[in-house]
Amino acid sequence: MSNHIMGVPGSYPILFVIWLVPLLGAVLCWAFGPQLKRFAGVLGSAAIGISFIAALVAWGIATQTSGAQTGAQQPLFTWLQGFDFGLLLDPLSLIWVFIITGVGFLIHLYSVGYMWNDNAVARFFAYLNFFVFAMLTLVLSDNFVGLLVGWGLVGLASYFLIGFWFFKPSAVAAARKAFVINVVGDVGIMFAIFIIVTKAGSIRFADVFANPHALDPWLFWTCVFLFIGAAAKSAQLPLHTWLPDAMEGPTPVSALIHAATMVTAGVYLVARCAPLWSASQDAQTLVGTVGALTALAGALLGLAQWDIKRILAYSTMSQIGYMIMGVGVGAFSAGVAHFFTHAFFKACLFLGSGIIIHELADEQDIRLMGGMRKRTPVAFWAMGAAVLAIIGFPGFAGYFSKDQVIFGALEHGYVWMWAVGLLTAGITAYYMLRLFFVTFLGSYRGEMNPADVGIQTQVAASAATIAHETHEPHAEDHAHAPAWIMAVPVAILGFFSFAAGYIMIGPGSPWAQFFDRSFPHETLPPATISEGVTTGLAVLMLVIGGAIAYQRYATRQALADAPARLKRESETLPAILVRLYYWDDLIELLVVRPSQRLGEFFGRWFDPHFVDGVVREVVLTNRFLGTLVRSFQTGLLRAYALIIVFGAACFAVYYALEGALR
Amino acid sequence: MALILILLPIVAGCALFLLPRTDRTISRVTGCAVAAITFLLPLIAGGGGTFAARWLSRPFTASLHWSWGGPAFWIVLLLALCTFCAVLATNMAQTRTMVALLLLLEGTMMGVFMARDILAFALFWDLMLIPPFFALVGWGEHRDTAWRYLIYNFSGGLLLLLSTAAFGVLYGSTDVIGTSHQLVGEWAPWIFAGFAVAFAVKTPLFPVHTWMPATYSDTPPVMVSVVSSVQSKAGLFGFLVIGLPFFANAMGEWKWLFIVLSLISLLYGAFIALMQTDAKRIVAYSSLSHLGLIVLAIFSQNPIAIQGAFIYIVAHALFSAALFLVLGYIEEREDTRSLVRLGGLGKVNPKLAGAFTIAALAALGLPGLAGFVGEIVILTGVFKNGFFWPALIALVPIVLASAYMLRLLQDIINGPERADIPERRDLTWIEGLAVAPLLAALVILGVYPHAVLSAAATVAAPTGSVQVSSTFRRHEALGAPTLALGGAEFRTERLLK
Amino acid sequence: MHESLLPVALVNYISLSLVIFLIGVAGVVLRRNPLVMLMSIELMWNAANLLFLTFARVWLNNAGHIFAFLVITVAAAEAAIGLAIVVVVFRARQNVDVDEVAILKG
Repeated sequence: MSNHIMGVPGSYPILFVIWLVPLLGAVLCWAFGPQLKRFAGVLGSAAIGISFIAALVAWGIATQTSGAQTGAQQPLFTWLQGFDFGLLLDPLSLIWVFIITGVGFLIHLYSVGYMWNDNAVARFFAYLNFFVFAMLTLVLSDNFVGLLVGWGLVGLASYFLIGFWFFKPSAVAAARKAFVINVVGDVGIMFAIFIIVTKAGSIRFADVFANPHALDPWLFWTCVFLFIGAAAKSAQLPLHTWLPDAMEGPTPVSALIHAATMVTAGVYLVARCAPLWSASQDAQTLVGTVGALTALAGALLGLAQWDIKRILAYSTMSQIGYMIMGVGVGAFSAGVAHFFTHAFFKACLFLGSGIIIHELADEQDIRLMGGMRKRTPVAFWAMGAAVLAIIGFPGFAGYFSKDQVIFGALEHGYVWMWAVGLLTAGITAYYMLRLFFVTFLGSYRGEMNPADVGIQTQVAASAATIAHETHEPHAEDHAHAPAWIMAVPVAILGFFSFAAGYIMIGPGSPWAQFFDRSFPHETLPPATISEGVTTGLAVLMLVIGGAIAYQRYATRQALADAPARLKRESETLPAILVRLYYWDDLIELLVVRPSQRLGEFFGRWFDPHFVDGVVREVVLTNRFLGTLVRSFQTGLLRAYALIIVFGAACFAVYYALEGALR
Repeated sequence: MALILILLPIVAGCALFLLPRTDRTISRVTGCAVAAITFLLPLIAGGGGTFAARWLSRPFTASLHWSWGGPAFWIVLLLALCTFCAVLATNMAQTRTMVALLLLLEGTMMGVFMARDILAFALFWDLMLIPPFFALVGWGEHRDTAWRYLIYNFSGGLLLLLSTAAFGVLYGSTDVIGTSHQLVGEWAPWIFAGFAVAFAVKTPLFPVHTWMPATYSDTPPVMVSVVSSVQSKAGLFGFLVIGLPFFANAMGEWKWLFIVLSLISLLYGAFIALMQTDAKRIVAYSSLSHLGLIVLAIFSQNPIAIQGAFIYIVAHALFSAALFLVLGYIEEREDTRSLVRLGGLGKVNPKLAGAFTIAALAALGLPGLAGFVGEIVILTGVFKNGFFWPALIALVPIVLASAYMLRLLQDIINGPERADIPERRDLTWIEGLAVAPLLAALVILGVYPHAVLSAAATVAAPTGSVQVSSTFRRHEALGAPTLALGGAEFRTERLLK
Repeated sequence: MHESLLPVALVNYISLSLVIFLIGVAGVVLRRNPLVMLMSIELMWNAANLLFLTFARVWLNNAGHIFAFLVITVAAAEAAIGLAIVVVVFRARQNVDVDEVAILKG
């Protein structure tokens, strides 16, 4: 298990093309925004396209091997003495680069249409390109500090893009929340770096992974602190609450950052640090547990949402839970496989929902949709494929990867995670199909009174006013972009939602070969339950979940009385799910409020009255002494003279007496 | 050569008073030119500018000795840069007077940072209080603040002078900065305590910080940008060039006191900054928090942490100067700096918002900007020397920093536009030019910090120890290097060993 | 000691000096006119001068002479400044009674 992720050192100019062209795009969009106008979208997309082509060209060097080394390693510069930066492209980072630039390119293209009428389109593409650059920094870095730099910069890009409509208070608050929670994660990685530098004496992956036990007795804690970073970025429990709020950003942003790429950085981190996790059983258990719980918790929350983007956000959280569970328990290639397929179908779902949202002038509540099949057929077909993929319908991409993850948990001896994985698969089938049926089937409910479908009027009113007051960029909405700009990326992603899984069937698949040298090989005892049974059970869960959803939302009768049913359901949803397990309230109560109270106590009372009070006591003492001494200063010249004479007389008497007594 | 850096700003500053009171252009051009010269001169002439003249021979030898070599080099450049930016940004009713005060401030601070003699250091330590004092008298909202600033810091200066005298008498000479001998013996901790209190007041460190928030919020922004960015570093610089080379043992004895105080400063400042509504006070309390980190680094006595301290000194100077200048622009336009009243500036002032954003991001330690480099290097060093809990606790303020800095940033530039705020014009090119160098330096230092770090390597390491307890005669170095604390080696090659 | 160099006994010089000095002191303490006070101070200076010269003679040491010159110089300077102050105060107040002019009261 030595040096297996260290690339072959050398000079690889192509890496710079992959890495820096998006940055160039960002700078150009930013600098020449007013001149570029809508052309900024073309420029931004082209930058990502070039980067993607370069990544394809770099396939060869990423998979090359030399001795124990795989991939390409390009030294950059000495950041600080002892902190050498470099780029590393190996199969693992190549997969991420493909998704970042490939799916990223499609989303850029889509954004050209989506942001057609926004005044700040150049700023949007500058941020988006900057995000791609930051994400590439993250996955191409060959050391922990470089990774952390990318980690922070994607957080920044995410902050900018969530708060893209910065005149909207809810977007501003969501951006701040996302950033602060992500800083918790950054800080976790920072602490892990302290341990790594102290114990391993290097920040390069290759040196650290060569001997994971150099980190003993801190190995477990290194993993824990690294995972704090991963959990914050990947919206794992207990740091997940920022992700649903992040849906305040434009929909392409949700697709790119908060579904396909950035939120999977945690998966990348754990997969990248596979040698560390392989060396620490406790860390595996911990991360697997968090992943499994998040998968379940996210799916349950998905049951109680009506906002189309929020449902997708919770499903993202849940699916990333699967990935984290996979890479956590040691089924690294399975976790990465699920990342790969998820990127397609989740991006497809978001972009499809973006088409619907656009069509309905920023309406996001699925209770006010219905019958969208006729109005947005592209979205219907593509999202149909993606929904089948996410629920793991046999033959679709998610089926293959999710199976691997669930079975991987079993293989590594975590039976309860296996069970949770299966249960979650059933829940996923239910809520995703519910989303699909409610949105696309039946008749359009948008003209109905919101109260009739169970929307609390107060909330609806405020949501509507915000939508109308703040979406001024969309005001002159009816100069739409050519429809194909948005349709083509969605269709392509829909196709891959179906097809992406076929490269990963069986142990000798191209996928398995591709990662052959990337992850530690372990010999495992044969699982007690075979993979076939697992698959069968997963499909059974899917059928059960799907059948319930069908029965409740898609039968002819259900469609007929849909409004009444939706209204009834809205009123009877369990409060614990609607209030998101009270987790936000708990954080507010335990962290935010106490910090603010403490700040107020220190700032309003302790500092001015206690710390400064001591200072003022000193001042007052001096002032008191001053008033005592002042009484001698009468201002009368002759009084002073008399005092002088008296003093002189004292001296005279003293010396006279001294002389007399001697 | 070194004398030029001190005298030129002082003479130019005095000469500006000959101009008419209402002058703007001539004084700003002169000020910029002087600052530019003081910036370029060391840069072009390289490391060796020195001036030395014998000052006292009894009771100890003291010299008027200044040099911009060694650790002072980067601070001198920083000071000249910050002064340049501040002068460029000065645009107020009494521009002439303010520029003159800024130049006087630069000259006197040059005298502090370039001093190679502790007595000269102490002399200019007090002189540099005068220009901000007059700025506070002339522009401050409360007259008390000026006196508070002066008396607080002057008390520190008095202790500094006492310690300097004790040092001179016991050691035989004060012309010592840049060399190093370990002072040991019963007096050493107390001499150091005198120095330390003076430095702590100046930095400032909890609990002697209460002059700072009032001073920072009352002083005109251009002046406070120099005071907070460079003047507050004088104390830290003193720890680095006087504390570490001569009092490593004494610092070891006071170590826990100062580590605890620095951690309190870190948390205390951050929590207070979370709830302030005065924008300048937020930055002031954030300074308390950030500078606590540097004190922590210095007292951990780890070579890596000390290098980090150097970077963070520069980084903090850059971003606090930029922040105060930007807040000054905002206050000048909107006539308020209350977060409650401000909002939505980003829409019509994109350049202002951009500059503000970069500065705030650097302050909250965004990777890729200078603040992050300092933080990670400092804490790596602190952790490496076995200070597990301090390193862990010091991470909390980083999270808090992101919360209060974003609050500051977003409450001012984001959100809906406020109708009650009258004038909104974007940065003029001169205003932009005044912050651009600071922001550029933040990016450069964040991406490639190696250059500045090499300056840290020149902080002298103790080469021997001198017994000062019971004798008034100067001793030569005795015995082997004192490395008991493991913090005495400051060579960069040792970073990761 | 070379008392023989003096025409009369040393004690006479000292006594005279003491008397002049006390007259000066009395003038400063008792009179309210600043001009008179200045003149009284002059008397005190000269009492001191007398002693300087006397002892210079007695000790055969020229330092006393030198000091006498120094005292005369300082006295002249002091008188100049004192008179200047008196004039300024007079201009400002039309009244130079030192008991009335007490603006330095703490």
